[in-house]
Amino acid sequence: MRLGLVIDLDTCVGCHACATACKQWNTSSITAPLTDYDPYGKEPSGVWFNRIRHYEIGEYPNNKTINFPMSCMHCENAECVTVCPTGASYKRPEDGIVLVDQDKCMGCNYCSWACPYGARELDRESGTMKKCTLCVDRIYDETLPVEDRQPACVLACPAHARLFGDLDDPESTTSRAVRERGGYALMPELNYNPTNHYLPPRTRPAVPTSDLPRGSLARKVKEWVNRVIER
Amino acid sequence: MNPSLAVIFLTLFSGAGFGLMAMVAIVNDFAIDGGLSPLRTAILVALALLLVTIGMVSSTAHLANPKNAWRAFTRWRTSWLAREGVFAVLFYPLAIAYLGWVFFTNSDQNDGALVLGNVAGLIGLATIFCQGMIYACLRTIRQWHTPLVPANFYALGLALGMTILATSRVLTHGPDLILVSAACALLVAAGVMKAIYYFWIGAPSGTTLQTATGFTGGRVKLLDQGHTFGTFLTHEFSNCISPTRARNFKIAVYVLGIFAPMAILLAAAHMTLGLGVLLAPLLAFIGIGLERYLFFVEAQHVVNLYHGRMPGSLPQMHPALRGGAVSPSVVGKPRLVPSYEKR
Amino acid sequence: MSAPQHEHEHGTSEVKYSTCYMCACRCGIKVTIENNQVRFIQGNRNHPINKGVLCAKGSAGIMKQCSPARLRSPLLRKPGTERGAGEFIEISWDKALDILTERLARIRATDPNKFAFFTGRDQMQALTRLFAEQFGTLNWSAHGGFCSVNMAAAGLYTLGYAFWEFGDPDWDRTKYFMLWGVAEDHNSNPMKIGIEKLKSRGGKFVGINPARTGYQAVADEWVPIRPGTDAMLALSMIHVLLSRDLFDWDFLIRYTNAPFLVVQTPGEKGDGLIYRDEAGQPLAWDLKKEAFVNGLDASCHPALFGEYKTPDGRTVKTVMTLLAERYLDERFAPVNAAKICGVPAATIERLALEMAHVAFKETIEVAVEWTDWAGRKHDKFIGRPVSMHAMRGVSAHSNGFQAARAIHFLQILLGTIDCPGGFRAKPPYPRPVPSPGKPARHSAPNTPLDAHPLGFPTAPEDLVIDDEGRPLRIDKAYSWEAPIANHGLMHMVITNAVKGDPYPIDTLLFFMANMAWNSSMNTANIQDMLRAKGPDGEYKIPFLVVADAFHSETVHFADLVLPDTTYLERYDAISLLDRPISEPDAVADSIRHPLLALDRDVRPWQEVMIELGARLKLPVFTNADGTPKYKGYKDFITYYEREPGIGFLAGYRGADGSKSLRGEPNPQQWERYIENQGFFQYHLPKGIRYMRFANKGYLEFAVEAGFLKTAEPIMIELYSEAIQRFRLAGLGLYDGPTPKERVDQERLATYFDPLPDYYEPLEQQRVDKEEYPFFAVNQRPMMMYHSWDSQNAWLRQIIAQNHLYMNRARGESLGFKDGDWVWVESHNGKIRVQLRLIEACQEDTVWTWNAIGKQSGTWGLKPGGPEATEGFLMNHLISELLPEKSGERRLTNSDPITGQAAWYDLRVKVTRAAPGEEGVWPTFANVPPLPGAPPKPDILRYNTRTKAS
Ligand SMILES: Nc1nc2c(c(=O)[nH]1)N[C@H]1C(S)=C(S)[C@@H](COP(=O)(O)OP(=O)(O)OC[C@H]3O[C@@H](n4cnc5c(=O)[nH]c(N)nc54)[C@H](O)[C@@H]3O)O[C@H]1N2
Ligand SMILES: Nc1nc2c(c(=O)[nH]1)N[C@H]1C(S)=C(S)[C@@H](COP(=O)(O)OP(=O)(O)OC[C@H]3O[C@@H](n4cnc5c(=O)[nH]c(N)nc54)[C@H](O)[C@@H]3O)O[C@H]1N2
Ligand code: SF4
Ligand code: SF4
Ligand code: SF4
Ligand code: SF4
Ligand code: SF4
Ligand SMILES: [Mo]
Repeated sequence: MRLGLVIDLDTCVGCHACATACKQWNTSSITAPLTDYDPYGKEPSGVWFNRIRHYEIGEYPNNKTINFPMSCMHCENAECVTVCPTGASYKRPEDGIVLVDQDKCMGCNYCSWACPYGARELDRESGTMKKCTLCVDRIYDETLPVEDRQPACVLACPAHARLFGDLDDPESTTSRAVRERGGYALMPELNYNPTNHYLPPRTRPAVPTSDLPRGSLARKVKEWVNRVIER
Repeated sequence: MNPSLAVIFLTLFSGAGFGLMAMVAIVNDFAIDGGLSPLRTAILVALALLLVTIGMVSSTAHLANPKNAWRAFTRWRTSWLAREGVFAVLFYPLAIAYLGWVFFTNSDQNDGALVLGNVAGLIGLATIFCQGMIYACLRTIRQWHTPLVPANFYALGLALGMTILATSRVLTHGPDLILVSAACALLVAAGVMKAIYYFWIGAPSGTTLQTATGFTGGRVKLLDQGHTFGTFLTHEFSNCISPTRARNFKIAVYVLGIFAPMAILLAAAHMTLGLGVLLAPLLAFIGIGLERYLFFVEAQHVVNLYHGRMPGSLPQMHPALRGGAVSPSVVGKPRLVPSYEKR
Repeated sequence: MSAPQHEHEHGTSEVKYSTCYMCACRCGIKVTIENNQVRFIQGNRNHPINKGVLCAKGSAGIMKQCSPARLRSPLLRKPGTERGAGEFIEISWDKALDILTERLARIRATDPNKFAFFTGRDQMQALTRLFAEQFGTLNWSAHGGFCSVNMAAAGLYTLGYAFWEFGDPDWDRTKYFMLWGVAEDHNSNPMKIGIEKLKSRGGKFVGINPARTGYQAVADEWVPIRPGTDAMLALSMIHVLLSRDLFDWDFLIRYTNAPFLVVQTPGEKGDGLIYRDEAGQPLAWDLKKEAFVNGLDASCHPALFGEYKTPDGRTVKTVMTLLAERYLDERFAPVNAAKICGVPAATIERLALEMAHVAFKETIEVAVEWTDWAGRKHDKFIGRPVSMHAMRGVSAHSNGFQAARAIHFLQILLGTIDCPGGFRAKPPYPRPVPSPGKPARHSAPNTPLDAHPLGFPTAPEDLVIDDEGRPLRIDKAYSWEAPIANHGLMHMVITNAVKGDPYPIDTLLFFMANMAWNSSMNTANIQDMLRAKGPDGEYKIPFLVVADAFHSETVHFADLVLPDTTYLERYDAISLLDRPISEPDAVADSIRHPLLALDRDVRPWQEVMIELGARLKLPVFTNADGTPKYKGYKDFITYYEREPGIGFLAGYRGADGSKSLRGEPNPQQWERYIENQGFFQYHLPKGIRYMRFANKGYLEFAVEAGFLKTAEPIMIELYSEAIQRFRLAGLGLYDGPTPKERVDQERLATYFDPLPDYYEPLEQQRVDKEEYPFFAVNQRPMMMYHSWDSQNAWLRQIIAQNHLYMNRARGESLGFKDGDWVWVESHNGKIRVQLRLIEACQEDTVWTWNAIGKQSGTWGLKPGGPEATEGFLMNHLISELLPEKSGERRLTNSDPITGQAAWYDLRVKVTRAAPGEEGVWPTFANVPPLPGAPPKPDILRYNTRTKAS
């Protein structure tokens, strides 16, 4: 089993709902809290597991804006785990989720260097590395209703731009979406083999207009023929 | 990458210490310039241990949660950082045993001394290799992902070690011609290796924001990074240096780190400089310290692409914009922050 | 497989349901509370609005709840200190209410209009309005006048419902969606859910907007338009449709006034009015009978086009003829429209044809039986699956009323009104066109008003002016300057009150509106006005009361601060009598109830109003013996009935809670709402879900539910006779009140066009376009709500500074670089801000995020934060008055029809700041902390497991 997220760039409006939903769930979750620095001061900053960046492609007027959420990709070849000297970082064999054991981490930052996707953030207060847990404490929690056993970010996303599922199962919604929509992984050349995939914006066929009547009744309004229609 | 003093000191001092240990072993093995006396051996090994210790201590300063540092040896099967730790830790008993053996047997040429010295030297060299591989194994940082990195670490560590050794010989008025020549040769070799490295990192890399986002159809630019101020990522990865500044620093690396020590050692071999010869290792440390600063600050993590920066370049954005750079106050602990990062 | 580490401690947690308050979308929330702290706010999956999803603001509600800006107790300006010095003393609630009661009682006994009560994005307008009505002051309105009255009025004077929260695209069926001038809006989550549905079905989404962010980012086609020109774009598309005979004949004949005849006697009284019989019925020309017939008669066969002579010799033309004559004019041809809108002619034509294709060639059917108003049975609803939504990009212009009408015309010609796949009404809408109810015009001491303070004028007689033609309301709503100002002109209140024009007032009460900052134009000036004193040393606004929950810029200027609770701490009714949360298929309303115990000396404003009402002995709140009628807000909501069986909450009525919509009060009503996760929904039977303006079943249902007075069909008005009456008054051709001043006459004659037309926004007519080459507009960031989210420790990390965005190529051609500090100057003033050059911006436009700039020291932030030193408000550049013209009184910078504040008519020039000139300008003095303000942590480690540190 390879659990992960699929992000639909065709519908992501860049609202940051997933990022804040993640923040609130995880600030009281297994790697809690997610410290905020200078929250009411001059340079507010903090620990987040999911961040949304915004890009522009092409040039005006043929430009497109892309909203681009990024969190841990739960890579198959998770170098972040390989390089961790303490064993704090680990990848669960049963579902591929990459986690950091807060009790083991020594805060050396090395794993974050190994992560191409900027998925790991050090919490200076606890001195430990934190990252997306794929909401492991939600998705297996049998006390939650089944439909709530989803990552917080997926539940929140108003544009349904985040899908959660098993990318090993060819019939999962995630796998199907990747197959049908040409989903891709980021920076494949680095060979991390990320589980998370991105669905590119759809291209939709032009709306036909040639089937419309060419008639031009417009010449003169008074000549317009009336149609007899009962009110 | 963030050129934190902790990692600069770690690699600089421990590299010099391991280099020195290796050089002590070699010099005693082949009795170069008459070899070292037991006392000199003991002093130099103690110095090597001191240097390694400075490096190790400063490296723990880099840890946010040092109470778990002991765990850092557990993953030696996979992690070069763990391996470095294991070798560094192994180094101590062997180097200390060697030191003790030489001290108590009052000989550096008996079998025990030779074996212990060589093993300690080899472990030092292995540690340097691990240190190099810590960086070289990262596919995320093109400037590091090359065998040139461990090669450079070797060249610089050995050159530093030999410079110290030669300096000590000059200071104590023994035969020093071969030692000084060897130091110069190692410095030249290190300079050449570093030149190759600098040339190599100048080449463009294949990964761009286009490929990183998957939008290869047109020019991709950052519109907004999604946070006004810095984050851990921008703090850790977004440091960089302007090309002119980097060039000037490189000149300084060569002048201070290579040419000046060579000149001083060569001069000292022919005339009396007195304590002035200490300038050779001192300048070497400063020059190579600068080299290490550049090694970090020039390294561009791929994640910078997502913040709208091209590897090895200044941010595309105006420096007045918070292009990801973060000010010291957000960082908490003192860090070196290049001056253009106004905010 | 299981969670690896500490299992979530369910034992200590509790789940409760309520309604979000971070914006007026009013999503359902599911709140997990752990150790008396909010653990998790999630969308309520069962809720009709958000169906389980939640936006960034909603998700960050936790940080609102622990904001250091929360007010803690009633505050009185320290006696002897100046207003706006920020010196307050904490007082008790008793004292606060004594002060207020004493003052208001005196005003009420003399001249109730001296009490002005204006509310912001108030989610209980029905109650605040009731209070004002009972008090007897004309001077009440909510924020609609500066927000989006153009949308509401255009819709209500055309369709009987509107874009502004009264209608929604049929997200489940629409195939083509056109979004006009929207960055986020109040249907935040539904729109995102809907756009995803549309796109996954393969439908097309077109975004018309000078900026390409947010929704526009995911639009299949982005149409960068020049601000203020949407009317022209819409009318040009209408030109294309008309010229190719692409419109829904049946729809126009059956449901609109297109066949009605309009009298054509230019220069004479009665010109442009509908030709009517003696009974006042509108006449049409019957093609079969070849005679004038009652156009409302179900069995007539009216001519859509034609010009006829009446028996008395007057010429009459059908509305459709006038409409076609107007829009077929070359002025509206795409080539000419392109020059105004900046949208290529080919694009205009193609978009019009694409919509025609989807409307007429991809028609859908919903096989459900229904009966039309005339009793004719139909076996299906025909759907033309083109839909639209428009908001402030259209409304915040002084031509927005007509622009919004033009967009509705496009929808009407395509026949997409309340049909499957089209633009659907949300009950209690549609209402008759125009809505019934005229604004109250009389106020008297100790007497409630005889009508709502706001209403729908249809003729000059309905204006709220005195015999001399002078405005009777402090905001001059319903005066010649803004005749159909259906939501008042809140943005004019401070200016008018300070000028004493039309009259001075005594007490001004603002409830949840940040009028000293982001809700006012010309902010710095407004702050000065709040401090202004007359020659007698008295403040020109003698007493300013602010009811707010947080330390806003406006609180700083208050004489009396009444601290409100947060949304997690109080009861609220989100009522059908107010802005509804209904969905097209279901009538819905909802509640909030206290989830957290109070930890400060604050009171829900609702409770305060009920108590104040009783203290002032306002009839509704008082028993005959003078004792309070209600025990409090909860009790009031349960038992108050507007008419028999109709109260604030429509669900679980009747003594046993079994009745819906209408029924006797149910003592257990709140409990039933809480059991039902905080909302009530009445699903409409399938046969009354569409074509409701003419759907007999629906109309009868609506009468029963109290939405409509009669089950008459609702006639869609393409041609607005009401508007024409005002035009006639301007032309001096009206039997009734007419304006005396030339400027009013001209404005009525020019802008009160019964058929929408494009005109250049008023401010732009008066500024030099060479000197001020750029249009300047705002957008709402999706994760920030006006001023009130900068106090949110999470959201402000996302955006704590705004920039001025400019088209990159244009900026580079002017020598700008990304990141330059620039001066932005309008006719009204200048600001210094930081520039960003981007692609996502129309060439002639600059834009920024709205309301990021803050006054230092407010909102619980430490002094000198980025919001104050680098964030800015565009409001400084915008004047609440039009540029002066000699010989003319100063006019409001608003739509001349509705009084809608014209925020986006601004034109600016941009020049580079001198080297070293960095940081925003102007900056404002730091506001000192309020008494008892909590410390602001340097490190925040919010966590519901262990006490937050
Ligand atoms: N997140 C969030 N949501 C909110 C609010 C908030 O502050 N934050 N505020 C709420 C309130 S009070 C309101 S009134 C609504 C308003 O919601 P919106 O209508 O979305 O309001 P604006 O953000 O002003 O968006 C105006 C949009 O129109 C564009 N525009 C400007 N001028 C023109 C023009 O002439 N033509 C066209 N076609 N486009 C133009 C702008 O670029 C911008 O995208 O949002 C509500 N929802
Ligand atoms: N330049 C520019 N200016 C604009 C606009 C624009 O697009 N551009 N948009 C305009 C529009 S459409 C609008 S609607 C206005 C919005 O402007 P405002 O109505 O002023 O909106 P806010 O700043 O969100 O909030 C008003 C006040 O409500 C308070 N508040 C929040 N929650 C509560 C509560 O529970 N109880 C009480 N009593 N108070 C509470 C807040 O603390 C704040 O002081 O801005 C207008 N101003
Ligand atoms: S995204 Fe980064 S942190 Fe996550 S598994 Fe991959 S390498 Fe590791
Ligand atoms: S920071 Fe923690 S998780 Fe990361 S490599 Fe170091 S010990 Fe491992
Ligand atoms: S899966 Fe959970 S932890 Fe990961 S980004 Fe989403 S909400 Fe955050
Ligand atoms: S919540 Fe959804 S739409 Fe919003 S930024 Fe995240 S992925 Fe995009
Ligand atoms: S859209 Fe967001 S802020 Fe508005 S009510 Fe819904 S969840 Fe709350
Ligand atoms: Mo608004």
